[in-house]
Amino acid sequence: MGKDAARAEWDNPMQFVLACVSYAVGLGNVWRFPYLCQMHGGGGFLIPYLLMLVLLGVPLFYMELAIGQKMRLGSIGAWRAISPYLGGVGLASVVTSMYLCLYYNVINAWSFWYLFHSFQSVLPWAECPVNSNLTGHVEECERATPTQYFFYRETLDISGSIEENGGIHMGQALCLLLAWMIVYLFIVKGVKSTGKVVYFTATFPYLVLIIYLIRGVTLHGAINGVKYMFTPKMEQLANPTTWINAATQIFFSLGLGFGSLIAFASYNQYNNNFEKQAIVVSMVNSSTSIFASIVTFSIYGFKATFNYESCLERVRLLLLNTFDLAEDTISLENVNHWIAELNRTHPEQFASLGGRLETCDLEAELDTAVEGTGLAFIVYSEAIKNMPVSQLWSVLYFIMLLLLGMGSMLGNVIAVITPLSDLKFISRYMSTKTLNGLVCLFCLLLGLGFTTRSGNYWFTMFNDYGATFSLLFIVLIEVITVCYIYGIKRFEKDVEDMLGHRLNWYWKIMLAGVSPILLITLFIFYIVNYIQGGTPTYQAWNKELGKSVVTEYPPYAQAFIGLLLASSVCCIPLTALYTYCKKRNLASGKRERTVSTVSA
Amino acid sequence: MLYRPKADTIRRRWQNNSHICFFTKPESNLCWVKCTKRIACNKQLHDLQHGQEGMLVWVLFLLCQGVAPALTQDLCQRDAPNGYKVRISLKTALGEDAYEWNQSEMFFFRATMAFAMRRHFQMETYNVDNIILCVQTSRVSFWFVVTSPDNATMLIPKADVEKAVRMARHRINNAFLLSDRTLEFLGIHPTLAAPVNPDTPPWLIVFGVVIGAVCAGIIALLVSSLLQKRRKEKGMTEDGQDEEDMQVKGVENGINLDGTYNRGFTDDDRFTKL
Repeated sequence: MGKDAARAEWDNPMQFVLACVSYAVGLGNVWRFPYLCQMHGGGGFLIPYLLMLVLLGVPLFYMELAIGQKMRLGSIGAWRAISPYLGGVGLASVVTSMYLCLYYNVINAWSFWYLFHSFQSVLPWAECPVNSNLTGHVEECERATPTQYFFYRETLDISGSIEENGGIHMGQALCLLLAWMIVYLFIVKGVKSTGKVVYFTATFPYLVLIIYLIRGVTLHGAINGVKYMFTPKMEQLANPTTWINAATQIFFSLGLGFGSLIAFASYNQYNNNFEKQAIVVSMVNSSTSIFASIVTFSIYGFKATFNYESCLERVRLLLLNTFDLAEDTISLENVNHWIAELNRTHPEQFASLGGRLETCDLEAELDTAVEGTGLAFIVYSEAIKNMPVSQLWSVLYFIMLLLLGMGSMLGNVIAVITPLSDLKFISRYMSTKTLNGLVCLFCLLLGLGFTTRSGNYWFTMFNDYGATFSLLFIVLIEVITVCYIYGIKRFEKDVEDMLGHRLNWYWKIMLAGVSPILLITLFIFYIVNYIQGGTPTYQAWNKELGKSVVTEYPPYAQAFIGLLLASSVCCIPLTALYTYCKKRNLASGKRERTVSTVSA
Repeated sequence: MLYRPKADTIRRRWQNNSHICFFTKPESNLCWVKCTKRIACNKQLHDLQHGQEGMLVWVLFLLCQGVAPALTQDLCQRDAPNGYKVRISLKTALGEDAYEWNQSEMFFFRATMAFAMRRHFQMETYNVDNIILCVQTSRVSFWFVVTSPDNATMLIPKADVEKAVRMARHRINNAFLLSDRTLEFLGIHPTLAAPVNPDTPPWLIVFGVVIGAVCAGIIALLVSSLLQKRRKEKGMTEDGQDEEDMQVKGVENGINLDGTYNRGFTDDDRFTKL
């Protein structure tokens, strides 16, 4: 068949598996899973997580691979083939992927920025810069920490709120340009180039993670963090949020609903054994999450112990200086004993210390759970600057972040390009290279909006609202379409055709029963949460206070959030309506013609 | 110069207009004799030791009992208006190699301060005797004041002392193997090192290298695929028959380019053809 012979293919099944691994193992494994683990009872969180993997993750992953491999088209074409009325599902996937493409590469731009700044003798986020008259440090940096100052002021040059726009940050714009050029380089020849790139992007992060694991567990105080993480707090299992978050994490971590998996699978051989591959990739993704969280927690433990000991040192110095005692009378171990002693013997002098005496608490330091960009760029860089040979660790870490981010970016961009290149009118006029170039250029130009001074606030908005709710809706429609509209029997026959054996009972029960129910529960939970949450808010950086404050979105930003959600979700009903109208016109047109011939 | 005469040889406190001898506030029951000029001190001590001017021992003993001599109270005291407090953290700076802070070190400090004052006020010759230390604690902190070399009762104002210290700070630190953080002059903030501003920020250099490599990669890929296409075209025009056959095949298959033929629908007659 001419069309099938012209379609590109992976060189071998390994490339496909590595592409899926590279796509699924992304930044969320490093910065979202450890946070959830910490919030929901440490080791105990693994129970709902693994359960959701089995009930929700693997079956949906399997379904998407099956669709892609069977239809051999991107998401728009594949869904149109399954059910012409629900071709909008594919379109919604493409729109959501497009939003993701726009803002996700900005994270890679930040990683590049930090990577390039690691090639200095003193890491720029290790110390506060001095002010203009050399008497002290810059005020904003004094109030916050040097790492926060570097992220918010020097990297982002963030404004006070989403309303205050500013110019484009040239450094960020350059890094974004570089990021898009690298994406283009990876996809320029389609799967031929992508297939070779994924060998590197899928495996090298593991190398870095292992190196970091060895470095992490040998750090002073790392054991505190690992112990803290793995101590299960079983009472968290009674909290429904734990289960919801586990399901959400599995769902987003595997990248379902974006159309990337369908696109990847469409380049497979027809008889590729995707069943085994689906299980392998899901397992690899989850184990990477757990592995990355061990690394994260050992670094947390190091940072918390370092801060705790610095706090004790400051208290010790304060006591020594106030009471003029010899240096070796108070050591770090007996600081608390001395506090009690001095309070007893010199009460007035002790009282004069007032607020300057800090309380140092290791548990409180460990409790500061952070996720997202805050974890990756602020907390981690703070820990790295205290390690010996910090430039090396910094370079390694940001290269790892880049590879994880680039791997996921490949999937996102391919999810947009594959359906576009399948469309007849585009493939007739443009070669793949030109199409790829145009898509990258378009995303770059729009993405420059995220490099402005208020860009980070828009980024957060896209991150929180652009792909969360719409994806749940898309995947829910997908599952219902495949199981009930297309029919589980037809799906079974397709799978048998490709693999050679029928679906066993596990897949049938999960796909037709358990997964839709779980998805509907998640969906209802999201809606309820959104309604109960009141006005959506965001964290605005206040330079006077040196910290983030919770601010409400202005009305136009809220309208934009609504637009983001509606634009992808509405594709489904609108396309169904459009197809219905077109068919009706076609049908009535035929009737008219038959009437006219009879009368003639 | 410090001498520790035997208690029974001390006759009295000797005072003169130009050379002052006085007793420091004793840490213990011992009295120390300090002089501002060596010659006078020798004479004085000699006199004292040989009991040339007699006085009751018990008066001196009382004086030694912790009543600070009135004169030193005027010049060097805690929170002196023209004095600075110095705090030294030897163990923090040097750890195991920390030397002991004893009277020799105190003398060295006075000598260093005299040097700093000489360096700043180039005309005037300061001496060790012009630096007066007091209020020593086991933290290793003490107060010091600087007297004028011309008039021993007059103190140098705080601002001048600060200027001298700032100028010679680096030398003072190095003399004691300490740093700005471990040898603190409370009230004199260390001047922070000026930031080094290179002409090209280093990150831009690394960025240039990486983006150059990526550009080269893209151009290489595009050029290679262009060359491949030209080579294929040349090959195609030589056997043009193949091209037509391929096109005919495409038409024959009758693939509907709007969608794909989905075998899933073949056996099923429930759904009407759309």
